Amino acid sequence: MLIRTVIVAALFAASYGPVLAVERTPAPKDAEVYIIWPPDGAVIKGGKLWVRMGVRNAGVAPKDVCMPNTGHHHLLIDTDLPSSFDEVIISDRQHIHFGGGQTEARLEDLPPGKHTLQLLMADCHHVPHDPPLYSKKITIRVPPY
Amino acid sequence: MKTMIRTMTACLVTAVLFSGVAAAERTPAPANAYLYVGWPNDGERVSADRPFRVWFGLRNMGVAPKGANVPNTGHHHLLIDTDLPPLDEEIPSDRNHLHFGAGQTETTIELPRGKHTLQLLMGDYNHIPHDPPVYSRKITVYAR
Repeated sequence: MLIRTVIVAALFAASYGPVLAVERTPAPKDAEVYIIWPPDGAVIKGGKLWVRMGVRNAGVAPKDVCMPNTGHHHLLIDTDLPSSFDEVIISDRQHIHFGGGQTEARLEDLPPGKHTLQLLMADCHHVPHDPPLYSKKITIRVPPY
Repeated sequence: MKTMIRTMTACLVTAVLFSGVAAAERTPAPANAYLYVGWPNDGERVSADRPFRVWFGLRNMGVAPKGANVPNTGHHHLLIDTDLPPLDEEIPSDRNHLHFGAGQTETTIELPRGKHTLQLLMGDYNHIPHDPPVYSRKITVYAR
């Protein structure tokens, strides 16, 4: 009985370990994700802008293209980083996916007020790398139209 | 008359076949794709023999590493002190044509003292420019 339990536990550990390793792609060494433009504190008249998404020491690949040292950008608007980096990044108006390998994001409808922008990279399966690659969160202001 | 018709048909078939082959060799690019050197600016002065960063700006199109055949993507090539290469062939790979086949979107280069030109050109997964080709304005930088 005890032996059977041990075997089951060993099998479980063996199967669980590799699954975890597959889920998170290792981040490229020295990789750094950052917002090239706009700068922190920028005032954006009209709420329309191009956000330039920067990454150093790593490359960009579209979703589903699983190549080492690559990922694709996600722009987080007015939200914090996801609570877990072990899951697929959600896709909504505050988490914009650039699975086409885009390196610039056009924002057209930012209402007047303060807004935060932050970048988070994910692997070909939309899961953040290990360790996760994200930028500093910046704040921009849209004056009343 | 019959021979003439046959010849014309043969010509037509050849033309159709040929254009089909030509189209297959060049990957289509989005009509509004826009490639530009994000940094340095045209006319910028940089320090000679000191590394400086070059940003690759791309709109309405995506980046994919070499070998990844995904629609509306390509990878960057930085042309230094040279004109555009033939646009229906593989982009050369040498000191004047730097390939960024790992999907990089910026790089660091050093230039000797003098006047230099920089220009970006996208290549498809086979390193061949798109149709229409996607290239930036050629800018001049002064290393001193």
